[in-house]
Amino acid sequence: MIKVTDLDFSYKGSKTKVIKGINFHIKKGEIFGFLGPSGAGKTTTQRIIIGLLQEYEGSVEIMGKERKAWGREFYERIGVAFDFPNLYLKLTALENLQLISSYYKKKPQDMESLLERVGLLSDKDKKIDGFSKGMKMRLNFIRSLIHDPEIIFFDEPTSGLDPLNAKIIKEMILEMKKEGKTIFLTTHNMTVAEQLCDRVAFIVEGKIPVIDSPKELKVKYGNQSIKMEYYEGEFTRVEEFPIKGLKENSRPREILKTKDIKTIHSQEATLEDIFIKLTGRKLV
Amino acid sequence: MRILNALKSDVKFQFKQGFYFVYIILTLLYMIVIGQIPNKFINYVVPIVIFTDPSFIGFFFIGGIVMLEKIQGVLQYLVITPLSPKEYLISKTISLTILAELAGFAITLVTYKDSFNWIILFLGILLTSIFYTLYGFIVASGCNTINQYFVKMIPYLLILIIPLLVYFSFPNITVLKAMPPVSGFNLIYGAFNGIKLIEALGYIAYMSVINFFTLLIVENIFIKNIIKGGAL
Repeated sequence: MIKVTDLDFSYKGSKTKVIKGINFHIKKGEIFGFLGPSGAGKTTTQRIIIGLLQEYEGSVEIMGKERKAWGREFYERIGVAFDFPNLYLKLTALENLQLISSYYKKKPQDMESLLERVGLLSDKDKKIDGFSKGMKMRLNFIRSLIHDPEIIFFDEPTSGLDPLNAKIIKEMILEMKKEGKTIFLTTHNMTVAEQLCDRVAFIVEGKIPVIDSPKELKVKYGNQSIKMEYYEGEFTRVEEFPIKGLKENSRPREILKTKDIKTIHSQEATLEDIFIKLTGRKLV
Repeated sequence: MRILNALKSDVKFQFKQGFYFVYIILTLLYMIVIGQIPNKFINYVVPIVIFTDPSFIGFFFIGGIVMLEKIQGVLQYLVITPLSPKEYLISKTISLTILAELAGFAITLVTYKDSFNWIILFLGILLTSIFYTLYGFIVASGCNTINQYFVKMIPYLLILIIPLLVYFSFPNITVLKAMPPVSGFNLIYGAFNGIKLIEALGYIAYMSVINFFTLLIVENIFIKNIIKGGAL
């Protein structure tokens, strides 16, 4: 669906490349996470694919055609939800959806159902300038779907949402995947990426050092272990044992037999730990 | 079809943002002020008011609309819809030109009792409004804040006002007639005070060509500054 080959990009008037020869391939029906700290090149790459930046080197093939060769009809087939809600503040929620949907050839999806799904149906006739950030983000999210696009770009889709609404958004993204939509997810939230993405690309300083599924990354780079917390007199002590070779290790069994256990937890490296390990950078 | 939808959207946006309310107040003010002027000056005052209304209002309103769309981030979203830059510009220009025509004819019908040339007046307002709206867009496209816009519009406005003022003092300087504000003014003035057909046709053709090229220039600026320039 999207094939990026040897992509280089520098902003006009600057000699510094912000994107340095990146390569990736996103299949149809895949949720692809693009992860990295601020200024790593996430938004620039997304803007190139969307077509807002065109003076790039290399190739960006999307839906079987080089991005530069697409005309305005390209926008009939993609949806974008930016990381900040850019809505008409003096119009109501429903008017915002109606207005944008009128620019597309396709008959819009049922707006009331979409509003209901994200908990905004009762607010459909309220002006946006009275909405909270979370409400605006939810409306921003469904606006990208009204024309039933094939590829959807989400930039921090759960930013500013409470856990319940974030869960609804994540469920909707997974449903879209089931329907065969291709999703390009830009985020620095590793938990969201871990829950949703089939594969993730880490981007740092314009380069992609690794692309893989979150599960594979954990197997390859994570140190699985067991952490045992037990009482020793009035103190609490903690010991950690690698899962690999656990059955040959007599110390955990000894603790179980001789100590009063406070907690036992299996330890898994998070995607964030792996990101830091591989890139030497934090996701801020 | 899409341009019609864009036009509907623009009208809704302008209405909700209170632009029409301001426009009605201004039009009423014009009518009241003209009503106080002695009859012998009406032939001069009405064309001047009708000319300044679409031109200045078009110039300021388009700036206000584009800045509001920029500040609300809506423009960033519009560029990733199928709506093309040309459709966006044409729709905005039509919406403000309809307003200018309505206000211009309302002022004329309320304050001007003699006969006037409806067609020339219609074309004069049309061509003037299109030019000033597109010109106002050039100013707004490069600004990211209202303050920037207010500072930037002053020199742009002077470029258009000065030739007109010079023309009022020295109407025999023929070259000034080639300035779009002077051409537009002469058409509107001619609608009330008479104008040779050949001269009117000349201004209409000239302003149409100027507006066509201004649209192309503005479209280019829109693509360069707003879509590709990351000004959003």
